[in-house]
This record gives sequence, C-alpha cells and structure tokens, in this order.
Amino acid sequence: MNDTILVVGAGPTGLSAAAGAASIGRNVVLVEKENVLGGAPILSGYAKLVPSGEWAKDAIGRMVRRVESDSRVTIHRATKVTRVEGDHGDFTCTLSNNQTVKAGAIILGTGFTHFDSINKPEWGFGTFEDVVTTTQVEQMVAAGKIACPSDGRVPQRVAILLCVGSRDRQIGREWCSKICCTVSTNLAMEIKEISPRTDVFIYYMDIRTFGLYEDKYYWKSQEEFKTKFVKARIAEVTKAPDGRLLVKGEDTLVKRPIVIPMDLVVHAIGMDPNADNPEIAKVFGVGLEKHGFLDRGEQYTSTFSSTRRGIYVGGAALAPEDIDTSISHGLAMAMRAVGELAGAVEKAA
Amino acid sequence: MPIHEKTLLAPEQVLTSDKLVVDGVDVSGHWNTMILPRTVTDYDPDFYQTIQKYGGGENVHRCWQCGSCTNSCTMYAINTDFNPRYWIYLVNLGMVSELLKDKDIIWQCVSCNKCTNICPKDVRPEGVMKALQHWMEDQGHVPKAKSTLFDEEFARQCLERGRIEDSEVMTKFFKKTGQNLMELATKGWLGIFVARMNKWNELKEGRIGRFLARMPILHPLHMALAIVFKPRTKSWGRTGEVLKQYVEEQKRVAHG
Ligand SMILES: Cc1cc2nc3c(=O)[nH]c(=O)nc-3n(C[C@H](O)[C@H](O)[C@H](O)COP(=O)(O)OP(=O)(O)OC[C@H]3O[C@@H](n4cnc5c(N)ncnc54)[C@H](O)[C@@H]3O)c2cc1C
Ligand code: SF4
Ligand code: SF4
Ligand code: SF4
Repeated sequence: MNDTILVVGAGPTGLSAAAGAASIGRNVVLVEKENVLGGAPILSGYAKLVPSGEWAKDAIGRMVRRVESDSRVTIHRATKVTRVEGDHGDFTCTLSNNQTVKAGAIILGTGFTHFDSINKPEWGFGTFEDVVTTTQVEQMVAAGKIACPSDGRVPQRVAILLCVGSRDRQIGREWCSKICCTVSTNLAMEIKEISPRTDVFIYYMDIRTFGLYEDKYYWKSQEEFKTKFVKARIAEVTKAPDGRLLVKGEDTLVKRPIVIPMDLVVHAIGMDPNADNPEIAKVFGVGLEKHGFLDRGEQYTSTFSSTRRGIYVGGAALAPEDIDTSISHGLAMAMRAVGELAGAVEKAA
Repeated sequence: MPIHEKTLLAPEQVLTSDKLVVDGVDVSGHWNTMILPRTVTDYDPDFYQTIQKYGGGENVHRCWQCGSCTNSCTMYAINTDFNPRYWIYLVNLGMVSELLKDKDIIWQCVSCNKCTNICPKDVRPEGVMKALQHWMEDQGHVPKAKSTLFDEEFARQCLERGRIEDSEVMTKFFKKTGQNLMELATKGWLGIFVARMNKWNELKEGRIGRFLARMPILHPLHMALAIVFKPRTKSWGRTGEVLKQYVEEQKRVAHG
C-alpha cells in the first residue's frame, strides 16, 4: 500500500488538491503538462478575478508558491502521465519524462480548453482583427490599455457577444459555460474604468450571473457603469466601408433587425472539455460524459470519484466551473483520496 | 410570400404608387407596393441621460426588461399599445424615432404607481412616463398636457401670491384647455357636481330651513370674491421672485 497522492494538472483545482493532501502529511507528486503552474488564469493571463477583485497573478500566484515551497510536493513541469498500471492503493504511473511514480490515489485536475472562436466564422474572429475574445480583453485590461488591434485606436463602442461556443447545438455544445456572463459583466466595468468614454453593449440570450454575482456584477455593471444589455443573439459580424465592424441580428424586444456599428467585438468564449480528454480517458481508464467532460461516479457517498476506483476528478475537468468552486473541489478530493487510502489500510490490517 | 408580421410595419414604411418603374421595367399594378427596411442602423446611447434629467427618470437605465410594469399597468389593461417596458428599452438604447411613434399615448399614464410598486429593479416606471411626457412637451413633440397646464397655473399663483385660489385655478385651467365653464355648469358635470352638494335629504324630509342653510352659497361666494381681490400671503414681498429665479436656475442646471 502506497500513500503518495498523484495530482495531475496544476490549475486552481490541482494546486488546491496538492496543498490539501500535503497539509495533512501526505507526499504529493504534481504533474503539469505546461512549463508554468497556475492553470487557465495564469496561462491565459486573466486580469482581476471574480469575485475577489484580486489580480490573477497575485491570487493564483499565491497558490503556486504555497505548493512550490512545500517540501512534501514534488513537481514535474512540462510533463504528462503516459501509463497507469495497478489499482487503488498501488498505482504505478509512467511519466513522459520516463520517470515512474508510485501512488495510492490519483487526482485529476486537468481542467478545460477555451473554445476556439474560429469555429464560429460568422462572428468574424480570424477574419477581422478587431474581433477578439474575452481572454484577449483580459490581457488588455491586465496591461492597462483597451485598444482596437487593427490600428490601436481606443474603441468608442465595444460589443460583447455572450455564449460564444456555448449553448449551441450547431457546434455540438449544449452546455452553459457558467462563468462567462459574470466575467463579461465584470470586463465591461473594467473597460469602462480604463476608458470611461467607451460604451459597452452586451448581447445576450439570458444573463446567468449566478448566486451573489447577480448584484455584484450584473446590476453593478448596468447601474453604475451603464453597460447596455441588448436581447439579441448576433447572426453575423461584418465590416462597414469605413472600417468599423457591423453587428447584425434581431433585437428581439423591438422585433426589428439591427445592423449596428461597433469598434471592437468581444467573444465571451465558453469552456470546452479539455482537448486532451480522450487521451486522459485512455491513459487513466476513466469514462467521459456525453459532452466530453470527465465522467463522475456515484456522488453522494463517493464524492468526486471518477468512474474508476482510486481516481478522483474535480474542477473544470468535470464541467464548466469557477475558481472558488474548483478550489473546494480540490480540497474535497484531497480529503477523499487520503481518507479512502486510510480506510483501505485499516481494512488490510 | 405573405407578410407574417404585418402589424410590425409602420404605415410610413409602406410605399404604394400607381405607376412604378424599376430598372426600366414597368411594374405598375401587381407589384406597386414597396416596403422600406425596418432595420435599426444605430443607437443613441446617451439619450437616456436626457430623460434622467427630468424628475422621475433618474433610474431608467436600471431596467432589465422583465415586463412586470407592463403586466401590472392600469392603462395596459385598457390599451395594449401602452407599454412602459417597451418605451424604457427604447430610451436606454436611444431609439427615439421608435419612441415618438407612441407620443400620443404616453400621457395616458394615470400615475397609479402599480408599476413602481412591482418593479424589481426600482426603475420607477411611473416617473419615467412623467419624464418622457415632459421631455416631449419641451421638445414640442406634443402639445402641453392638460396636467402641465394645470401645474403651470397652480405654480404661477403660488409664486405671485404665496397661495392659490381654487376658483381662479379652475377658471384659468378651463380657459387654457378650451373648456367652456358656462356649458359645463349648465349641461356638463360641473352643474351636477354643484347640485349634489345640496342636502336634498333635508328637503325631502321637509326641513326646508336646514336645507337652505346648507346650500352651497357661502363657499362659492368666498371663491368669487377671491377672484376679484386676489389676496396675497402676508409679507410675501419678493419671495415669489426669488423662488422663480431659483426654479429657473435649477432647470438650467438640469437641462442646459
Ligand atoms: C475568459 C475566462 C475568464 C475567467 N475568469 C474567472 C474569474 O474571474 N473567476 C473565476 O472564478 N473563474 C474564472 N474563470 C473560470 C476559471 O478559468 C476556471 O474555473 C479554472 O481555471 C478551473 O480550474 P481547473 O484547475 O479546474 O482547470 P484549469 O485552470 O484549466 O487547469 C488545468 C491544468 O491542468 C493542466 N493539464 C491539462 N491537461 C493535462 C494533462 N493531460 N496532463 C497534465 N496536465 C494537464 C493544464 O495545463 C492546466 O494547468 C474564467 C474562465 C474564462 C474562460
Ligand atoms: S454563463 Fe452566460 S455567456 Fe456563458 S454560456 Fe452561460 S449564459 Fe452564455
Ligand atoms: S403609473 Fe402609469 S405606467 Fe405605471 S402602472 Fe399606473 S398607468 Fe401604468
Ligand atoms: S418592471 Fe422595472 S425592470 Fe421590469 S421591465 Fe418594468 S421598468 Fe424594467
């Protein structure tokens, strides 16, 4: 019986799981495929996080440092797991750097992949320079400057299109990405803070700023920062002769077609299942659910179990998820992994 | 192909001509009707600020279009074209020409405030209706509403004399709104109103003295005298003028 915990993925979920297991005295091996730890908020350079308002590099940076400075945690960067043998209590994992790790339990915090807007060509991404994604605007905000990529001018008008790559049967994405409404209403405020004279329009089907994000983001964005909300799913983004963009659609509330000039169009991109998931399913022998996220086992007494005993899954690997929830998943998985191993040891004795 | 949503077409968008030539082809007769596009090609995103400057319009930008106001509205129950939810949307996106299509019914709001009580975002739609009406009057889109004429006469007397005389307010209001006082008294509601102020029961039961004593004579007499003598509040002095200046100043600050 081996009581080392193998954590795969060093995003908010994996970092939290690793710190959690180490804090109760277990040795942890953390395997991350990128060279940098921190997951999406760091890899994509997010600006201020919802709901703390802290810069991502500070907040997630703290999580990274906590794990890096913990002598119980061994970190493998730019590494993947290529083979898993054995069972609960006694896994042997081969890494892409040819090392072998023996572990009693495995925690998957392998997260998500950003939707690639190229897959919705009618909304102009890849065709027009001034059509960008929320992650690009996060980076602009982090750099303190909102500008149209085409010529560097400060946009008079920004249109944020919600549900890009979510809630769309045409592209096989039938889920809501949960966080993009909140992120977008927050971005609208950040844009306005940097450029007070810019008008921000959010084109929506529904606004899903769940829980306490309702007034903190949606209401505040509308009431204090004067973000305009237009109920329309945009059909097409084109370019006017003067170089500005035109968003075309139907304003469902006035029942009229609209063709409105904009300077910058932002896709609120959704959270896809991790593009690695088919590979992860094969290597770890776990199941995928119908959308392509990692599947769950029984949840009420075996919380965060995958479909394979001794392997746990949480965070955005399970479904679109926010950071706070991912962090709790991580901690809960550490608890489950350590607890079940202790139970197995007791039984064996 | 049939036009499914004919009701969405405004009459000025439908062009019909007896003789029509398109690209050199005579299409008179069957194809003589053309419909102009209904596309909204721009917003006026600052327009809501104009409305916010009128009392009652301050919260217009908070609306999230739930429709509670319209659903609860007294006027909507009678006239489904009366739609505060819709007008508030048009204000926020600055679709002014669309808004002005309904300029002749916005005044119908009866200020019952059902909308205000139900609105989950505290937009105060009743106030927005008032603000819209005032904006339209200021811009000359609609003639002054009767209530505005009433307010003006009321305020004028206040400022001039520090008090109002009901009878003078009434007579001036009737005059400005083109209502003939004599006609109202002899044939209209005013006659009935005054007649009902008598204690007819006393007369029926034979108490003629009591009936006569309670006839509405003194009060109307008092009112008539006040029209002639126009009493002022004691030591009113220049108060009215100062107040007037203040009101004008505030208006300038608000509307530029
Ligand atoms: C534009 C945008 C803005 C957002 N802003 C916020 C916000 O402000 N607040 C908030 O709460 N949430 C926000 N989110 C959501 C947030 O990004 C996620 O909740 C969070 O990243 C999930 O953490 P995770 O660790 O589960 O996954 P990830 O962050 O995706 O981390 C997964 C990690 O696993 C690694 N990995 C993947 N596959 C493998 C593999 N096969 N082997 C080894 N390693 C692997 C990845 O490289 C990555 O480091 C935002 C999302 C988007 C799209
Ligand atoms: S959170 Fe909002 S923007 Fe994102 S998919 Fe759901 S409804 Fe669409
Ligand atoms: S106050 Fe006016 S708008 Fe509001 S419910 Fe009454 S009639 Fe309708
Ligand atoms: S009730 Fe309030 S929030 Fe709802 S549509 Fe009316 S004004 Fe807007």
